[in-house]
Amino acid sequence: MTHAVPRVDAMKPSKPGPTRTAPPRPPDKFPGGGRYPAYLAFGACGAFLMISASLLTRGIWALGNGEAAWDAYRAGLGHPAYLVYHVAAFLGLTWFVLRLFRLFPATQPYRIGPLKRPPDAVLVAGLYGLFFTVLAVGTLFLGGAML
Amino acid sequence: MLKLEPVIWGLFSGGMMIGGILLPVYILVVALGGGFGVVDGQALGYDRVFALATNPIGSLVLVAAAALPLWGGAHHLRHLWIDFGGLKSDGLVGGLFYGAALVGSVYAVLAVLRLHG
Repeated sequence: MTHAVPRVDAMKPSKPGPTRTAPPRPPDKFPGGGRYPAYLAFGACGAFLMISASLLTRGIWALGNGEAAWDAYRAGLGHPAYLVYHVAAFLGLTWFVLRLFRLFPATQPYRIGPLKRPPDAVLVAGLYGLFFTVLAVGTLFLGGAML
Repeated sequence: MLKLEPVIWGLFSGGMMIGGILLPVYILVVALGGGFGVVDGQALGYDRVFALATNPIGSLVLVAAAALPLWGGAHHLRHLWIDFGGLKSDGLVGGLFYGAALVGSVYAVLAVLRLHG
């Protein structure tokens, strides 16, 4: 029994012309249904990354300006608006990075270098462990409880 | 441009990873602990923080924590803009986000270099 060989140019237009494509439109449940709210919140955490990094840079700059500038920077962080922002940023970034780690195994190849990829649960547990270890050790160290 | 692609993706993914791991420590200790007055004043005093920041490892951590997250954040916000129908203005908006990340990164590197000058 022979099979017909499909023609790869079966949809070829008779003459050259602009490609007609439907205009892009959002999926049916976008943005409030299904998994889209979490997906969009994940993307919106980019604002926490940019703003928090900028505030950190401002602090480094103040540090370079001397003790009075550094103390003024620290005193400024006690303003209610900063406190509210930083509570939200801490919660948002923690959720962001834990979600990133949950998605991480799906982005990895079957083999990582010469080794077979570990089971997804092991990979995720390792990344969670890394995050909470850095958070705990970093907090103790920077907070003066270590050294 | 293709040769630069790994570098660019490295900035985005590094920004997400580094930002997500290091920034919560800064926020928890300096911004919230200091802001609420929970952390000992001496721990965040000028002399100790300056010594930590001018240590070679400390300087590297600061540059990474202050510069890389800007790229990860810019990438996410650009795509959020596209998701909400901003494809036509992607060139302008993407340029603004990545431009801000570039300016902020240079500013962060200069801020750390100033500590050593």
